[in-house]
Amino acid sequence: MGHGHHIEIKQENFVVPDKAKRFAIILMVLGLVLTGVGMATLGGSSSHSHEAVAESHAEHSDHAPATEAHSEVEGHDHQAAEAHAEEHGNMENEQFGPRAGFHAEEKPAMTRFWANLLVVGFYFLMIGLCALFWIAVQYVANAGWSTAFKRVPEAMMTFIPVPFVVILLAVLVAKTDLYHWAHYEHLHLSAGDAGYDKVLDGKSGFLNSGMLIGFPTVLVAIWYFLGRKLRGLSLKEDAATKGDVSFFKKSIRFSAGFAVLFGFTISIIVWLFIMSVDAHWYSTIFGVYNFISMWVTTISIIALFVVYLKKAGYLHLVSDEHIHDLGKFMFAFTIFWAYVWLSQYLLIWYAHIPEEMYYYQIRFEDYKANFLGNLILNFCVPFLFLLMRSAKRFRPLLVTIAVTMCLAHYHDIWFNVFPGVFGPGMQVGFLEIGIYMTFAGLFVYWVLTALSKNGLVPVNHPYLEESAHHDVGV
Amino acid sequence: MAILDKNLSLRNRNKMLVGVYEDEDNLMQATQSLVDAGVHVHDVYTPYPVHGLDRIMGIRRSRLARVAFFCGLTGLSLAITMIWYMYVYDWPMNIGNKPERFTPSWIPVMFEATVLCTAFGMGFFFFWRNRMLHGVKNEILDLRQTDDRMIIAVETKEGMDEKSTLDLMKKNGAVELREFHNGVQTTL
Repeated sequence: MGHGHHIEIKQENFVVPDKAKRFAIILMVLGLVLTGVGMATLGGSSSHSHEAVAESHAEHSDHAPATEAHSEVEGHDHQAAEAHAEEHGNMENEQFGPRAGFHAEEKPAMTRFWANLLVVGFYFLMIGLCALFWIAVQYVANAGWSTAFKRVPEAMMTFIPVPFVVILLAVLVAKTDLYHWAHYEHLHLSAGDAGYDKVLDGKSGFLNSGMLIGFPTVLVAIWYFLGRKLRGLSLKEDAATKGDVSFFKKSIRFSAGFAVLFGFTISIIVWLFIMSVDAHWYSTIFGVYNFISMWVTTISIIALFVVYLKKAGYLHLVSDEHIHDLGKFMFAFTIFWAYVWLSQYLLIWYAHIPEEMYYYQIRFEDYKANFLGNLILNFCVPFLFLLMRSAKRFRPLLVTIAVTMCLAHYHDIWFNVFPGVFGPGMQVGFLEIGIYMTFAGLFVYWVLTALSKNGLVPVNHPYLEESAHHDVGV
Repeated sequence: MAILDKNLSLRNRNKMLVGVYEDEDNLMQATQSLVDAGVHVHDVYTPYPVHGLDRIMGIRRSRLARVAFFCGLTGLSLAITMIWYMYVYDWPMNIGNKPERFTPSWIPVMFEATVLCTAFGMGFFFFWRNRMLHGVKNEILDLRQTDDRMIIAVETKEGMDEKSTLDLMKKNGAVELREFHNGVQTTL
């Protein structure tokens, strides 16, 4: 497709095919059934995991001295630190970092359900936000190639409120079971009390219940407002006269504002919802790591929707060239995910400081299959396949890899949360799969409906012509 | 085949028919019509990349990717050999009581060496293959091809209808027609 080759640009109105509707509903129903099965077996699996926890507690008792040493390192006043260490030495759950009175086995069985809602909510919230960030990046970078399928990330963005409400629900109901700092906050201890935790007390200015609910609510509200604004401008542009670039210019301004705000604040959401599961532990790169994990997932999902719409006979301006470039993005950010993953792991592995090590200790020793599987499915598989040019242009293979990446990155987020909340002995079960399927079905249904509400082609976008002639070369 | 591509050279060639263009759309059309007429286009020179021209000319996919792969492999082996020799074989070092065998701390060095060799190797082989390496004599058909003109060069063969080829170039918007033989240019 070269210059001079004329491409006719026409508006398309997407009608959700019954087959797609059925697929989404089946996904939801199947997900609900599996969730039901998972819920019904919660009691049983809980007692099972109780045994597993007790077992590995016994196994790990030799690690206790290391954590005591860590308590000493933390206190500036040596004597106070010693007293601190003694207090903590009595706690039997010292092995996984100091967590006063926070025992996995004492949690209600329902905690697993709420933790799953937290994970699934975070996953889809980040997908919505990353889709919005995608739109903003295209505007700020003056990128033309992606204009032809611009409505896909726009439709994905409209899902933002749903997962956020789910997160809020999970957090409001079960925060003291999900976050040990929330449990600690609930105890209202002051210096000198038995079980007083200097680290958590020091973090309480940021890590408190008000912040956990208030800050993300404000941020998501602002982000979502900017997202609606960008979508509104894009839709109004469709109705405007050809050649009117005022909407485009306004979109660039809103995009720049959003991109800067989002770049600075996305980490905060990750700290509050995900990293604070291990409240004593911190990693400066954790926000980037979670963002990139979800960013590459979002690009995979955009690719899936584009391939689907193409197959259903829509998006006449999109060609193999666009799909190839989406594949390149998936490949590039797969490498970046591994880069960030290794950066976080390597520094902690090399420094070998107990207060940092326990994060990987539990994940490597008690969840070895998950730890290695996560790395293989999120990096090795997509890397080796997407390395080939033909894989990026052969749609069945690209779709297979994109689906693998969506699932594997869901596991990535799950793996950040579950060992932190429950300690050892958890595994992906019916409940995890069921809840993921339910929300995946809802997401597909929601996005397809959003796509059908407006024209599929941003007909008056100034870069549409450029996008139609996009060519990555021989 | 020699890596320095003789096919790209202008030396020891038959007479060249040269069409000069001002507009890329005309250039593409002219190239297309020449290819359609069965004329072998020697090369097209443009001051900037023209999308789609490579497809019209029937240029095969670049093998630079394969070169990059082997450059990367070289870098990786180099890094592993180097670390192993320095850190394990020649003078074993105990740093932070980490094991001597392969550890995650090797990975950044392996990664960087791979990337370095790939980047340098690709740059080097790209310029070598394209006769743009330092020290290779510049062979420029027309100085304006580096500024604002686009040039199609067709190499004449025995029994070729030069007149109709030139007509075809002219018809598709050539602003100038020239002949190039043994380094001498003649305006037609």
